[in-house]
Amino acid sequence: MKECIAMLLAGGQGSRLYALTKKLAKPAVPFGGKYRIIDFPLSNCVNSGIDTVGVLTQYQPLLLNEYIGNGQPWDLDRTYGGVHVLPPYQTATGSDWYKGTANAIYQNINFIERYDPKYVMILSGDHIYKMDYAKMLDFHKEKGADCTIAVMEVPWAEASRFGIMTADENSTITKFEEKPKEPKSNLASMGIYIFTWEKLRKYLTEDEADKTSSNDFGKNIIPNMLGGGEKMVAYPFEGYWKDVGTIDSLWEANMDLLNPNVALDVWDPEWKIYSRTAGRPGHYISSGAKVDNSMVTEGCVVEGEVANSILFAGAQVKKGAVIESSILMPGAVVEEGAHIAYSIIAENVRVKKGASVGARPESVEDKEKWGVAVVGENVTIGENAVVGPRAMLEKDVQDGEKLW
Amino acid sequence: MVNINTLGIIFPNTYDELIPDIALRRTMASVPFAGRYRMIDFSLSAMVNAGIQNVTVLAKTNYYSLMDHLGNGREWDLSRKRGGLHMVPPFAQANQKMYHGRVEALSSILSFLESQKEKYVILSDCNIASDLDFADLIHKHVESGADVTMVYEQSVIPEALKTENYTFAVGADGRINELLINDYRQGVQNLSMNVTVIGREELISFIKDARAHNLIHFERDIIAPSLKILNVRGYEYTGYRSRIYDMRSYFAENMRLLKHENMEALFPEERPVYTKVHDEPPVRYAMDCKVDNCMVADGCVIEGEVENCVLFRGVKISKGAKVKNCILMQGTVVEAGCNVEYVITDKNVTITQDKNLVGNESFPVYVQKGTTV
Repeated sequence: MKECIAMLLAGGQGSRLYALTKKLAKPAVPFGGKYRIIDFPLSNCVNSGIDTVGVLTQYQPLLLNEYIGNGQPWDLDRTYGGVHVLPPYQTATGSDWYKGTANAIYQNINFIERYDPKYVMILSGDHIYKMDYAKMLDFHKEKGADCTIAVMEVPWAEASRFGIMTADENSTITKFEEKPKEPKSNLASMGIYIFTWEKLRKYLTEDEADKTSSNDFGKNIIPNMLGGGEKMVAYPFEGYWKDVGTIDSLWEANMDLLNPNVALDVWDPEWKIYSRTAGRPGHYISSGAKVDNSMVTEGCVVEGEVANSILFAGAQVKKGAVIESSILMPGAVVEEGAHIAYSIIAENVRVKKGASVGARPESVEDKEKWGVAVVGENVTIGENAVVGPRAMLEKDVQDGEKLW
Repeated sequence: MVNINTLGIIFPNTYDELIPDIALRRTMASVPFAGRYRMIDFSLSAMVNAGIQNVTVLAKTNYYSLMDHLGNGREWDLSRKRGGLHMVPPFAQANQKMYHGRVEALSSILSFLESQKEKYVILSDCNIASDLDFADLIHKHVESGADVTMVYEQSVIPEALKTENYTFAVGADGRINELLINDYRQGVQNLSMNVTVIGREELISFIKDARAHNLIHFERDIIAPSLKILNVRGYEYTGYRSRIYDMRSYFAENMRLLKHENMEALFPEERPVYTKVHDEPPVRYAMDCKVDNCMVADGCVIEGEVENCVLFRGVKISKGAKVKNCILMQGTVVEAGCNVEYVITDKNVTITQDKNLVGNESFPVYVQKGTTV
């Protein structure tokens, strides 16, 4: 028996990441120099003492499956428990894709019950944050709650993008609104839930029987439990948390790592973020290179200039190339004299000599037309080609071609 | 090759005495090298890359750091049911005294050797980091029908090795006609690289004979006197290699890797070098730091100035510190205002504020593990 197990929703397509998630589930998108997004919730689990995690996959699961493997990098290779990838499957009565977040858990009730847990955590695979789930579980038990939802204060202006809670002085949730037009509170749900399993199982079963339901936690399960008079509490979280579901937020969250005033610290030895690494030798900064306010990891070779940027394993910046405020994902190569600004360059992209991708916001007159440029994986940008800001490339660009 | 049919035996302690400072509390095998590696990673990874799945490490002394590094061998893909990694400390048998030569060491695992299935054995020391292709070596050994194949390189014998080396006279047919012990000649010789391939059953009978005659040294007592009877062949290695034989060579070989083509030669993509994973975050370069010609392992934080350095994992260079021509091992901290040149710091050294610590290229200052300067 396990006291608490975690179910991690990792099936989302992440369609708002466009070229980055064409062949990749969102949780597998590289983040922060040597991680993938899913490393954060997985590391939080193991650092919090949760050793049983079901990862629900659906969209483009190949890389994610391979990445998680037997869970060894996260210390989740256990004889009882550990990490398990749970794709939709066929049963005697038919088969179904995961229709919604609640349905995905419903279809895996058998998996959960193998561990006979008292509590089940529901996590999402597209958030960057460090959180001690054990403290949240203590809070859940202390309050005698049926459901605990982690919440954080968000700016009022952004509150209408979130699921908003109203809670009384005992943290008991009195009201829940999914993306309200006129929010009454600025306590936003972080998509992190702890349920007393017995209760969750009841509501999942009822929800499944309701043919009109969209089988979603935010839209159905939470309102139904609240309506059913269950004890629901809000667990206040202070610290860094970011949904990296869009190009802008993904770029910003990476840049946050470079900001000493932002509370996202991957250097804390007490709360390591684990990842499956390629295991390459240390990186090399050549004579004449310049590196300023950046993160660089194993296998990189920097001969040019890098400022305010994040280089993933094996990225190469050749002589005379300039990288500013950008992200070079694993294996990206930027050749001599090329210029990358405010861009996300995906895995194994090659930017050839003299090419230019992206631009600084101040160099664009019409601010509406500015944005982070994205080059999808394995794309080649030809010599002296020009790719403007806010580009979204999935195909090669010819030598000298101008896309602005 | 689906089945290379070879088992590996690594001697981690040979040559410990050549770098007494760094190997004070560790084996030659666990000497940190090239930013995030230990010397044993090179021989061990080369064996694994050749398809060898059964490796024994015959430790003698000071092997705690080595055991910590190797664990169950998972990082080298050697955590297996069939074969895998075996660490054999001395006194594995009750009646065994501390051994001196290789023959004695091997005789302590005689029953293990007898129970194995592999046809060939490859024996290797750990004082040379190279990109030796063990698969090709074994293939050539089998093809040539040799009884023994020994690897050498064409090299001048370093002064420090004049009392501890083997050189070969190799005939046009590739046969070793003469094996010289502690060769002191000037000029380029066929210098042994201490990697040997031999049949497993042949090795067992050599050891048994040697034990009966109270012989200790494999090369001196077994191979050298039998060159007329045995078909002993040389295998020349011409690739990049780092041979560690004293403090100066340790310093120079680390520094030589700052030439990127050397780095690429020692770490070819098709034959990766595996090591223990520490889950360090990427390196953080702060605003206004200066880095020039450096190799940096993950987990470092660079705020000051660094030039011509090899930085191991988790090194911290504070703002206003200047570090030049140094090798700083894991966890070294250089505080603000320091000026550090030609220094080798061992693990977890702290150089406190405003210190001036300067060595010389021919005599780098070495700071022992855990010291606070």
